[in-house]
Amino acid sequence: MAAGTKKVSLIRKTSKTFLRISLVLMLVSTIALYFYVRYLLQKEVEEELRSTEARIESVISGNGLIYQLPPVVEIKNVSVLGTERLKDTVIFDPSQNEMEEFRELSTYSEINGEKYNIKVRALIVESDYILMAIVASYFIIIALVFIFLFYLNKSGNQRLWHAFFRNLEEMKGFSLNSEKPMQLVESEILEFSELNTEIVTLTDKVRSDYKNLKQYTEDVSHEMQTPLAIIQAKIENIINGDNLNDIQYEHLTSIQQDIYRLTQMNKRLTLLTKIENQQFANPEVLKLNLLVKKRIENFNEIFPAKIEFQEANILEVLMDHYLAEVLCDNLISNALKHSAENKTISISIGDKTLMVSNNGEVALQNPEKLFTRFYRESSHVKSTGLGLAIVQKICDLYGYKPSYSFADHKHMFKVEF
Amino acid sequence: MKILIAEDEIELQKSMATYLERDGNICETASDFNEAMYKVDLYVYDVLVLDINLITGSGLDVLRELKNNHKDTATIIISANNSLDDKLEGLDLGADDYLTKPFHLAELNSRIKAVLRRSKFGGDETITFNEIHINTRSRTAYIDNKPISLTRKEYDLLLFFITNKGRVLSKEIIAEHLWGDSSDMVDNFDFIYVHINNLRKKLTDAGAKYIRTAYGTGYKFMED
Repeated sequence: MAAGTKKVSLIRKTSKTFLRISLVLMLVSTIALYFYVRYLLQKEVEEELRSTEARIESVISGNGLIYQLPPVVEIKNVSVLGTERLKDTVIFDPSQNEMEEFRELSTYSEINGEKYNIKVRALIVESDYILMAIVASYFIIIALVFIFLFYLNKSGNQRLWHAFFRNLEEMKGFSLNSEKPMQLVESEILEFSELNTEIVTLTDKVRSDYKNLKQYTEDVSHEMQTPLAIIQAKIENIINGDNLNDIQYEHLTSIQQDIYRLTQMNKRLTLLTKIENQQFANPEVLKLNLLVKKRIENFNEIFPAKIEFQEANILEVLMDHYLAEVLCDNLISNALKHSAENKTISISIGDKTLMVSNNGEVALQNPEKLFTRFYRESSHVKSTGLGLAIVQKICDLYGYKPSYSFADHKHMFKVEF
Repeated sequence: MKILIAEDEIELQKSMATYLERDGNICETASDFNEAMYKVDLYVYDVLVLDINLITGSGLDVLRELKNNHKDTATIIISANNSLDDKLEGLDLGADDYLTKPFHLAELNSRIKAVLRRSKFGGDETITFNEIHINTRSRTAYIDNKPISLTRKEYDLLLFFITNKGRVLSKEIIAEHLWGDSSDMVDNFDFIYVHINNLRKKLTDAGAKYIRTAYGTGYKFMED
């Protein structure tokens, strides 16, 4: 389906289609009825006029009496016979005392050697009334029928699709973390029943894959940590043994650092997986100001007096406490790591934003890659390359927007909440 | 002190025992679940270092057994699993501390001493090293009975040094001890020198010159 297509609900869509079709049907049938009834009525009037005219002719040929009954009957003696004409005309009706529309049949005939022009008229107002009455009542009846059908159709559809909608809601609530099986409504409709079977198969597959993946992550983390523990313990015993020179010690502590890096990488990868798997499901309302202050205190014990903090307002966020700490820590430690020695880094809280900035000479070359795993702008800072990826993941989880900008010799990392 | 190490990785088990025995502790080992259960039932230990994932059973069951027998043994769980659930379950069952692998032996040693202080002496113990006395309840240090003013981290550092006296401590070990989980926020441990130098200066000023440099970049707390 093309992106950006406006989505319409199923019931709405079918209702709309029904309405459109019924409206067209109603109009077409009403118009058709109008013309048909009018045709019938005209036919009827014409018949009547002709029979009246025939009766007049027979009266004239019987006794030669010419009578007038204006405006309904007018008979004139004429010298030349004209052609017969049937038309609508407006003339004054003395009985109504106003102009009225008549249907007029004008014929010429020769009776007993005399030539006559006989005009017979009938009021067509009456037939117009009948026409309108028929069409209007038809229209009302059919409109009522359609309204009735519309609601019947709608509620019928709702009942028909009920199982589908229920199951759709159930699927929206599907969580990889929950162990409880999906409560799908059984339907006597074959396609829905098949759909249910497919959904159950798919979700079972997804769940077992997810479980395997989780198990794998746990296994890797477990299996890696035990050998690391052994290596580390042995190094410590060697360091505490005798007959060691400075160079050997240097090598051993360098191994310790690498073990440490491996451990950190392992921890962070596990954290990333946990966030991806949405295993942090305890959001609470946090005052970010307080949290940031605490994290700064924590950092200050390591790097005294290098962090500035400005707060324009109180920023409250709804997120997991641990993840909030990780988010702040990673932004702060990223700034500290890349800040030149003795330069302060600054943190500010503004309207729905948290900004952490540190001094720098030039803008980063690949800002779009900053938040991806294992991307490092420079190689001289030792890092796992996962800190900002974790920031990105946490932001993704809560729908926050992290961004990077460079201005006034400052790298600025901003999170919009 | 009598310590039981229940760990199925023999190499790790041996390394732990080697490190702890140097302080004059008696270390016994158990290499699987059954051996651990058997020894816990039969003997009395001051400290149990317990791997949660023993090959043939769960360390948590050993812990349950220990608590059922009402034995007054301080327990430290070691686990490769960093999950909070395991940690909470262990602590709920009465474990005194929880260490995630990999850990430093110096860290294990310091944790063992801390849990012993808590369980045997109700947290109120004075640690003495020559003229230095540390009151662990009030968290203050005295040299020749005169209190010296230390920051929180300097106090922790001094305690760590004394509990691991005579051992070589690299700056990596010290950093991880002092900052725990926060230490993974920094990838360079050079900042540790500042703290050590501050502590060293305060001790030296008071006449206690015990912090020695070892192999150029490491430290050792010892007498002459």
